[in-house]
Amino acid sequence: MTIPADLKYTKDHEWVRIEGDIATFGISDHAQEALGDIVFVELPEIGRTIDAGEAYAVVESVKAVSDVYAPVAGEVIEVNEELEGEPEKVNSDAYGAGWIAKVKMSGETLELMSDDEYTTFLEE
Amino acid sequence: MINPDYKYSGTNGIQHEEPLLFEHAHEAPESISLPGVDGPLSDALLAFARKTPANIPGLSEPETVRHFVRLSQWNHGIETGFYPLGSCTMKYNPRVNEQVVRLPGLAHIHPDQPEDTAQGALELLYETQQWLGEISGLPYVTLQPAAGAHGELVGLMMIKAYLDARGESNRRKVLVPDSAHGTNPASAALCGMQTVELKSGADGRIDLDELKAHLDENTAALMMTNPNTAGAFESDIKEICQLVHDAGGMVYGDGANLNALVGVARPGDMGIDCLHINVHKTFSTPHGGGGPGGGPVAVNEALAPYLPVPRIVNNGDSYALVHSDENSIGPVLGSAGQIGVLLRANAYISAFGRQHLHQIAEDAVLNANYVLHRLKDRYHVPFEGLCKHECLLTDELQHSHGVKTLDIAKRLIDLGFHPMTVYFPLIVHGAMLIEPTETESRETLDAFCDAMLEIADQCEAGDTEMLHEAPVKPFRRRLDETQAARNPVLTWKEQ
Amino acid sequence: MRFLPHTETDRRAMLETMGLATVRDLFADVPAEFQMDAGSLELADALSEAGIVRKFTRASQKNRNASNSAYFLGGGTYHHFVPAVVDYVISRGEFLTAYTPYQPEISQGTLQALFEFQTMIARLTGMDVSNASMYEAATATAEAALMARRVTRKSRVVMAGSVNPRYRSVTANYLSRLEGEYVEVGMGQSGTNFGTDLEKVIDAIDATTACVIVQYPDFYGSVYDLAPLRAACDAAKCLMVVAFSDISAFALIESPGAMGADIAVGSGQSLGIPMGFGGPHLGLFTCKQKYLRQMPGRVCGMTSDVNGKRGFVLTLSTREQHIRREKATSNICSNQGLMCTAAATYMTLMGDAGLARVARHSAAALQSLLSQLPAHVSAANGARYNETVLSFTDKSARERFLAAARTQDIFAGIPLEQIDPAAANNHLLVATTEMVEPTDITGFLAALEVAK
Repeated sequence: MTIPADLKYTKDHEWVRIEGDIATFGISDHAQEALGDIVFVELPEIGRTIDAGEAYAVVESVKAVSDVYAPVAGEVIEVNEELEGEPEKVNSDAYGAGWIAKVKMSGETLELMSDDEYTTFLEE
Repeated sequence: MINPDYKYSGTNGIQHEEPLLFEHAHEAPESISLPGVDGPLSDALLAFARKTPANIPGLSEPETVRHFVRLSQWNHGIETGFYPLGSCTMKYNPRVNEQVVRLPGLAHIHPDQPEDTAQGALELLYETQQWLGEISGLPYVTLQPAAGAHGELVGLMMIKAYLDARGESNRRKVLVPDSAHGTNPASAALCGMQTVELKSGADGRIDLDELKAHLDENTAALMMTNPNTAGAFESDIKEICQLVHDAGGMVYGDGANLNALVGVARPGDMGIDCLHINVHKTFSTPHGGGGPGGGPVAVNEALAPYLPVPRIVNNGDSYALVHSDENSIGPVLGSAGQIGVLLRANAYISAFGRQHLHQIAEDAVLNANYVLHRLKDRYHVPFEGLCKHECLLTDELQHSHGVKTLDIAKRLIDLGFHPMTVYFPLIVHGAMLIEPTETESRETLDAFCDAMLEIADQCEAGDTEMLHEAPVKPFRRRLDETQAARNPVLTWKEQ
Repeated sequence: MRFLPHTETDRRAMLETMGLATVRDLFADVPAEFQMDAGSLELADALSEAGIVRKFTRASQKNRNASNSAYFLGGGTYHHFVPAVVDYVISRGEFLTAYTPYQPEISQGTLQALFEFQTMIARLTGMDVSNASMYEAATATAEAALMARRVTRKSRVVMAGSVNPRYRSVTANYLSRLEGEYVEVGMGQSGTNFGTDLEKVIDAIDATTACVIVQYPDFYGSVYDLAPLRAACDAAKCLMVVAFSDISAFALIESPGAMGADIAVGSGQSLGIPMGFGGPHLGLFTCKQKYLRQMPGRVCGMTSDVNGKRGFVLTLSTREQHIRREKATSNICSNQGLMCTAAATYMTLMGDAGLARVARHSAAALQSLLSQLPAHVSAANGARYNETVLSFTDKSARERFLAAARTQDIFAGIPLEQIDPAAANNHLLVATTEMVEPTDITGFLAALEVAK
């Protein structure tokens, strides 16, 4: 299992990459593994404003379904439309091709963990 | 003693592949001769004529029969073999019930023909209604709900109406144990109520402290299943109902597990206010590969005014349908119910009658405890003690050998048994919920237990490959559910 | 007891294995105050199998039925022909006594039949996809309204007043437990006007509307063009829901799909399922592909097994209550599975040609009747499939007619107010199918003489 050092993580196993005022969201390797084969990702609408901690997407496997919560607040500016046809990218490349949405940040964030803190969190 | 060669009745012999009927490549014959009037149609109607045919292929009668008979042969049913699906009550479906509901005077009657020409049907339905009231201890019954989940919705609608009439429209919280069927929270949501999940206690039962902590002035109801989905009787039932009533709420009983109690004890006597009855479980109406079911709801006097319409009433020497009533929650189905299903339930109760009804629950509970007794040393039992009509095991002891509940279930198929319910209830890991029902012989129970013990032996011997590979004998092996869900193909498209 | 395999010896031996004396020891966890003695319930005495047959036969003989009478009764339930093969197939224990196909390896029969059913229903209704059934048409209509609310994230539902009053009242009942506006558009029906006034329906649409529900052919049997409604729904970004009562129509007239429906729901009872005093029938639910993930109920999908052989499974189950619980698309669990197998068998026997003939005969019987109506009875105008409203001078004339028809074993129609309490009491809802013979029409017309 990988936990890249350049990302921040939440207790609900989401990751966020912050570049300037743009944040990219996804779910962690641990989360995709726990869910199993992803069969569908329900993406948010572009332009939607989401609060930190709000469910902005839904990830489904064959027998489980999980809300995905926004690590930081903002307005959705881009979604990964490739997941509509190939949701398995969340499994194969959770931190890369499996990203879910990009938001223009508006300030508020959840409590975020560094890679080391997330590693410790997973071990607990 | 059965000859060991025949003990596990796994499939053998001729197995036919059968294409989709769309792939039967020939022009369809005129298969059916039809009666009726073959005259001109109006121009007004013909202006709307369908431009291209629907493309329903059609086969001759002998081909149709062979097609569907071959499909049937890939199925396992309760008539084929043991079907110990927990919480599903797969018992034998008497053939006489099938015979009597096909009498022309019951099958070919219209729901809106004059009531004086349908008195026989109304009489049987009224009797069914009364009997279900007597059996549940909740004397006021609607036959209308089409299935258990529909009954849940109807019951909650009545509770909501009752609370509203008392000026307590703030009460919208429904407490649901985490062991409950998924239909419970889904029904509450559909009724515009909010579900609050109760964490089960260490014994798998409702934890009284947890219950007390969540009861308040906004509580509408507790939805509970008794015996619960772990197969255990909620022995604190009296206190549970008292607590909910004291808090101003109602107790909704999910009757999915009534088979454990029928004729022995009545939910109404215990303090349950409202109960749906799955007639396709307790009263042996066939499951039909998913339905039709029937979910009559029985209630006490407080909820009686809110029963849906139409209601079947007895006016002395005749029976009638009442279509409106001022306090009723209104209609919840386009007819008075799944009549054919309800009539089969009547026939089932008729066969046992006053004298024998209790024997259903007694034998069902005997059989489940017998299976538990034979398996408890080799499979992990999460909650100790007596079970009722079903027993709960887990894969904990097999897990260290790399074998999961799914593997055990699939291996049972190779040994000639339908698997138990797996991964439900959700309160234990790797659940295996076994409900043998009262219509299974000791011989069958022993054969099933032997198969389960054989699987446990194979795990311990490290002989696990065949468990992971299973099933190998049936017509199809493990199917790719991921592919099915990623790229849903729900209809056939000719290439 | 003949359904129970144990002898007393078996029971004793099993109890002994467990170290118990009596079966009630197994109920020690049920408080004694709640336990009843055997035989204490007030039920009838047990009946033998012969006794059950006698009881049911006696009751059935009190009912007049369509096997020896002429039925002009519709309103959502129709007396179409049920071929013997249909009942044979669904009587086979492998279909009849199977559970929901959760273990696909040993349920391929049910599953392939469901896949064939879904395909044929989609084709007949002209829609992209069908689920594996709802209870019946009224609850299917309610579920369609709920689905449209999810798809559009809007909550207002507009219902045409020409939809079957039972579908309307059940839908209104379901929606009344939730937030959001529900509007019924009255048509002011009377005289020969029984039909759908689409302009009034369109006028009721606004920007907050999630869906418009119409019936086609409508409750009064009227067939009409839905194109203006499609355009209005596009303009308001709401869904067009089309309900139907007798699916046999779509072998003859344009399907809901061809008319532009986003969701089409209704009854499949006409597809080889007896009237059965109102059930079990078959609820149908179809929609456009793009709304699939908001559809309620089970669906069967095609896949392959580990050997690469084609097979079928229940799929998209994350929409359902056993996984999504309070967030599920519906609370439905048990559906009408066996009725799907019945309908699949029926449609296979019929094919396009047989289905078209059923539809043609059903419509021709009505046309024959209408073309010979005497002047003292008026019929609703406009295109009709197999159902219409006849109006009498007054209630008494109607009742005289119904009584006269009954003496000839003809059930000539349903008093309209019996289904639609808002209707005046001089109307009669009349339906025809291929089971109506020319002599039945002669008898019907003869009985009309008394209604002068």
